[in-house]
Order: sequence, then structure tokens, then C-alpha cells
Amino acid sequence: MSRDKHQRRLLPPYLATGTSGAALPSTLDTLTALRASGIPLASYHTSVHRRVVELVTGGSLTAVEIAGYLALPVSVGLVLAEQLVSDGLLNASVPVPDALAPSRAGRPSRQLMEEVLSGLQSLRVA
Amino acid sequence: MDSNPSVSPSPRPVYLPEGDHQRVKILVAGPLGVGKTTAIKTLSQIPTLHTDEVMTDAAAGTDDLSLIGLRDKKTTTVAIDFGRLTLPGDRVVLYLYGTPGQRRFLPLWEGIAFGALGALVLVDTRRLDESFEVMDLIEERGLPYAVAVNTFPDSPDYDLEIVRSKLDLAPDTPLITCDARELNSSLNALIELTAHSISSAGVGAS
Ligand SMILES: Nc1nc2c(ncn2[C@@H]2O[C@H](COP(=O)(O)OP(=O)(O)OP(=O)(O)O)[C@@H](O)[C@H]2O)c(=O)[nH]1
Ligand SMILES: [Mg+2]
Repeated sequence: MSRDKHQRRLLPPYLATGTSGAALPSTLDTLTALRASGIPLASYHTSVHRRVVELVTGGSLTAVEIAGYLALPVSVGLVLAEQLVSDGLLNASVPVPDALAPSRAGRPSRQLMEEVLSGLQSLRVA
Repeated sequence: MDSNPSVSPSPRPVYLPEGDHQRVKILVAGPLGVGKTTAIKTLSQIPTLHTDEVMTDAAAGTDDLSLIGLRDKKTTTVAIDFGRLTLPGDRVVLYLYGTPGQRRFLPLWEGIAFGALGALVLVDTRRLDESFEVMDLIEERGLPYAVAVNTFPDSPDYDLEIVRSKLDLAPDTPLITCDARELNSSLNALIELTAHSISSAGVGAS
């Protein structure tokens, strides 16, 4: 199973977000972390692009969190983030660096899950 | 719709840890009013976020982008809640996605389920059958899951073995009782799920 297939989003045309005139489904993961690179906005960027860049100027947030803070559907947050990454205004980091291995289909490794398990156990309060 | 709406968009975001970390998704799924938002609020260390995903019904069940815009479409919104939980040491950040379990949201489900560690399915013993649809969706995706019974004041007091057989669970699927309003109880449910995901990853997985 390819990652792309799973990352495709159905996006109605009225959600088109400006730069290219047509919204394309995003290939970003919802848990991709994004942070402003410091490169200024260009004249073709919209006010919603500006809000995204401003939101992640002081630190990193995932695409879902950006959508949540700006009250946008997740699919729209993903498209905006992808446009801004390709324009160089946002730096992106993938959620799990080695999850793209075909055998993994995006699933966390056993080692990562063991870390989750012990982390959760240590959060329990007596 | 949502009896327990999350905070409105906040001007002060809670940023991710600065250092290298991995981000892992866990789904919290179940029928209307079963306690998904409550569990996520209990577990989240940041004010929970809420999004309304817009979906075109015309495209539901197909993957064909060319259909979009060519048909009359009815749009539906699907509410999703998000919570975040940074594990001690700042090396792993968990995201909890509160997801509605209906099959008509199938296109959305593919993206939501992708890469998840597993799903915590919440059930209410007064209406066990309402959880079947979401359990089917999760099983079809091969996602490991655990089932947590949220006990409400007027819930019938079933033996867990009876619940297990009514839900037709596999013998190794964890089934626990949970109070979504309590942190330790909700953490225990995630611990059961994670342990199960690890064992179902098999010996070959690394
Ligand atoms: N007694 C008890 N009440 C609970 C529990 N979990 C949730 N509740 C209550 O049940 C009601 C519904 O809970 P929600 O968390 O809003 O349920 P939900 O699954 O998010 O509902 P929708 O988003 O509408 O599908 C709330 O009034 C909660 O306080 C539980 O474990 N025990
Ligand atoms: Mg809810």
C-alpha cells in the first residue's frame, strides 16, 4: 500500500486556497510539524497564509493543530501548509522519520511503541 | 451535536518540544455521546482542539477526484477532536484523534487511520450494537484496538465476559472498564491498547 494513496484528501473546489487557482490534495501527513522559516510572505499569499505563518513563528505545530487553532478543516490546513512549504516559508518535519519504509505502512515500530508504553505507565499517578 | 465542545481557537498556541521527538497517533473512536471528547480532554495536556472536516457526499466511497465538482454534491461536516500528550523526556508526543465511527465518512477514515498505533474503542453497555460499525471499520484497516466500557449511572451491570461475547471480540483483544473522566483510568486504557499493539506487531517487527 502506498503512502500517497492514504494521504490523498478529497477536497471540493470551493476550498481552493489561492496560489495555484486550484486546490490539490495534500501529501503532507496530519502530524507533520511545521515552523516558519523566516522567509517573508509574497504578494500572492493570502491572509490565511499569513495567519498560518504567524501561528508557527514562535515554535512548531503539527498540521492538525494549525487547522484546529485557525478553525479550518484539516484538509485545508494540509493544503495551506503544503503550499507554504513549497514556497519556502515553512519548514516541515515528518512525524516518525523511518515510517516510510514500505514494510511499515506508516505504523510505529515496536521500539517506538515500547517507548509509548513505558511513558504512559510513568504518567499514572499513585 | 457535540455536547462537550472544545475551546475555541486560541491565540496562544502550545508549541511542540524543541528537541527531536516522534509524533504518534492514537484514535479514540465510538458512537455518539459515548465519551470520546471526555477521554481526550482527560488525557490531553493542551486545551483540546476541534475541527470540522468538510466532505462531499458525492465523493464518499470513491477515490476519484474527477468526480468532484462534476456532480451535485451535498457536503457533510465531520467533527474531530484532537488532544496532545507529551511523554516524560519529550521524546514522544502522542496525539489523540476523537473520531466518529460511521462508514459514510470512509474517505476521511483512510487518512485518519494511516500510521496510527491503534484505536481505543469506547462502548456503552446500554447500546453495544452502536459500536459495531466503528469496530468493523477499524478491523478492515488492520488497526489493533482495545475496547473500553464507559460506565454510566444507568448502565446495566454486565459481566465483561458477556460484553466480550456480545461484541464478538477476538480472545486477545483487550476489554476493560474505564471512566473517561479519570486520568489513571483513561491512561490504563491507552496502556492496554499499546501493549496489545506491541504484541500484535509480531516477533518479526522491529
Ligand atoms: N459516568 C460517566 N460519564 C461519562 C463518561 N464519559 C463521558 N461521560 C459523560 O457522557 C457525556 C457525553 O460524553 P462526550 O465525551 O461528549 O461524548 P462524545 O463521544 O465525545 O460525544 P459526541 O462527540 O457527541 O459523539 C458527557 O456528559 C460526559 O460527561 C464515563 O466514563 N462515565
Ligand atoms: Mg465529542
